[in-house]
Parts: sequence; C-alpha cells; structure tokens
Amino acid sequence: MKYFKLSIFILLITTVIMFSCEKDDICAETTSTTPQLILRFYDILDQEDTKTVTDLIAYGLDDNNEVVVFDDLFITTTDSLVIPLRTEVNFTRIVLHKDYDIDDNGTPNDDTDDIVLGNTDVINVTYQREDVYLSRACGYKSVFNNIAVSIDSDISNWALNSEILIANITNENAAHVKIYH
Amino acid sequence: MLKYIISSVFTLLMTFSVMAQNDSIVNDSIRYAQKYGLRLGGDLSKITKTIIDDDYTGFEINADYRLSKNLYVAGELGTEERTKSNEFLNSTAKGSYIKGGIDYNMYKNWFGMENMIYSGFRLGASSFSQTINSYTVYSTNQSWPQTTNLDGTEFKGLTAIWSEIIFGLKAELVNNIYVGFNVQLKARITEKEPANFENIFIPGFGRTYDSGRFGIAFGYNVSYLIPLYKKGN
Repeated sequence: MKYFKLSIFILLITTVIMFSCEKDDICAETTSTTPQLILRFYDILDQEDTKTVTDLIAYGLDDNNEVVVFDDLFITTTDSLVIPLRTEVNFTRIVLHKDYDIDDNGTPNDDTDDIVLGNTDVINVTYQREDVYLSRACGYKSVFNNIAVSIDSDISNWALNSEILIANITNENAAHVKIYH
Repeated sequence: MLKYIISSVFTLLMTFSVMAQNDSIVNDSIRYAQKYGLRLGGDLSKITKTIIDDDYTGFEINADYRLSKNLYVAGELGTEERTKSNEFLNSTAKGSYIKGGIDYNMYKNWFGMENMIYSGFRLGASSFSQTINSYTVYSTNQSWPQTTNLDGTEFKGLTAIWSEIIFGLKAELVNNIYVGFNVQLKARITEKEPANFENIFIPGFGRTYDSGRFGIAFGYNVSYLIPLYKKGN
C-alpha cells in the first residue's frame, strides 16, 4: 500500500512535468510572426500631414483578378491600413476602394440591381521573401525585403503617389509605405 | 505515449524494489563471493518505441564493467531517428551517439544478491543531421492561401555534447540476466546548431526544450553478465 501511494505520487509529479513541457508546442500569441504591410495616408498638398481616406476598404486581387477579402478589415475612414502580403509569390496586388457605398436603386431587398459606388485604385507591392525561423511551435515566418510600390494608372486616380519609408518589412512597429492623396 | 512508458517504468521499479526486500535469508556465517565481469545489454524501450511509433527508430547497446564492490564503468552506444511534427513544422533528426561514465551502487544487498540501486554520471556526444521535411509560413492573417514549403533542407554535420546524471535500478532476474530501469537528467554543454533552424531532437539526448539546455530520458534495459572472476566482500 505504501508503494502504491508512492507510485501515485511519482506519477502525479511526472504528469505535472510532462504537462509543463507542452507549452513548447503552442505558438505564443506574443510571437512576432509574418508581418503585415502598414500603409499611412498623407496629404499630397502638405506632405508632412496625414490625411484620412473616407469610407475606405481594401481587398486583394489574386492571379485570376478575383477579389480576396481580408480578415478583420472593414469600411472605415482612416489614415492607415494594415494589409496581409502574399507569402507564396513575390508580389501582392491590393485594391484601395475609397468612398465605398452601395446604391440599391431604391430596392433594399433586391441586390441584383445594386451598384457599387466609389473610386478604386490598384497598388502593386513587389518584394523578395525570406523565411526566418521562429521556434518549434511557430515554425517559420516570412519577411519582405526591398519592397517596391506602384499605383496602376486609371481614369481617376485618387491615390497619387507613394513613398517607401521602410524597405524591409520585418515587423509591424511602424508604417512602411506612405500613400499621398 | 511518454506518459505511459514513464508510468510503466515506475510501476515496475516499485515492484522490483518490493521483490528485492522480500526474499533473502540473512546468514552472516557464510562468506559469499561476488561476481565481477562485463555486463552487456540493450535498451528495450527504444526497440518497443521503434515498433509502435512510426516517427521513431532507435537502438542502443550498453555495457558496464565492475571495478570494485560498488563502482562500475559504464557506457552506451546507439542510433536514433526521430520525426517531430506539428501544424507548422515537420522535421527529422537522425544520428548516432556514445556515452561513457561511471555507476555507483548505493544499495546494500541482502546476502547472496547482486542488485543495484545506483546513481551515475555520463558524458554523451552525438553526431547527427536534421532535415526540414516541410513547414508552413506562420501568418496570423490567413486571408491569402497559406504557404507550405516542402524543400526538404538537410543540415548535416551537427554535433552535441552533454552531461547526464542517472538514477536507476538493476535487478538480477535469473542467473546473470539483469533487468534495469533508469532516469537520465541531461544538460547540454555545447552543440552545433543549423543556421535559421535549431536542434529539435538530438540522438542520445532526446528532445530539446525552448526553456534551455536541460533534458530528460528514461531507459529500460535487459543485460547479460559475462562473469570473469569472483571476489569476496
């Protein structure tokens, strides 16, 4: 009986030891993983000042020009945006949709005749990817080096110019790209 | 799985210590000569794990040689291959190791018995390789498709040196056949780590932990004593 109790005790201790080891297998939320692109919007006339973009939504364009909706991004009036970059190719195409609104043609229950209003500009971000080891639980993150940004010309661009603040995106501590409008 | 092995080891350890104390007749008047020789064996837990765990292959032979009443020189030689995987990372470590040191018997045997409850020290060295079978880039925002890389990068020529403190038991089951269990507490002294990766598993040392240089392992040995000579107490 004494040995039985001792066995139980030792088993409990080893279970606690084993359990405490499990944390290595979970990627901590505080880990700095693959960084996202931070855009900051500035006034084209007064280039030191930030300027909000009204009713802005951003979404991605995939290789077939299909829309990719970004998680946790909503229509908002803001002077900055956080956008995920593609980790399988060296470029990301992003649509910045200003003054987003829907004209329902007076038929709120029928969305077949709806017209999407606003001004869309497409920006291209190119970069060189590098995969950096984090830990056994998180694996690898991608960082994006030597980024370049261009804005597609269209009939009515609202985003007029861009400037790179940080060329190597390794964290989300500060804005990487300025967009002037 | 590890939990199961540990519990079995401890349960068996308890059983043997009970056995060791139950039989034995004390007889001081007869002088008993103890056996000295070379004890050769293998680690059964590694063979068992090889059979039941698809992600593990391991083999270890071990030996000890009795120097004096309580002191033994001891060593182990083995190979291990271990694949560790989770949602984001899958890697395989493969290599061989050698360990050498001493065991000191702390158990005062009853008359005529040659069991051991011992503590020991080892210095271990491993030469191994690691292969990243696949990894998935960790992104908290998964709007774009996740990227999985299957490039299979292999890091060769990795090494590690560590020290161990061992606590264990060896019991003579039948004439010259011993079974034993031991716990090994390990601390890495030095290691060669791959660039942009780390040593996830080191053959002979076992898995590593983010918390630091320490590790733990268990052994379950069966060995045979080749008696060379006898010597009185």
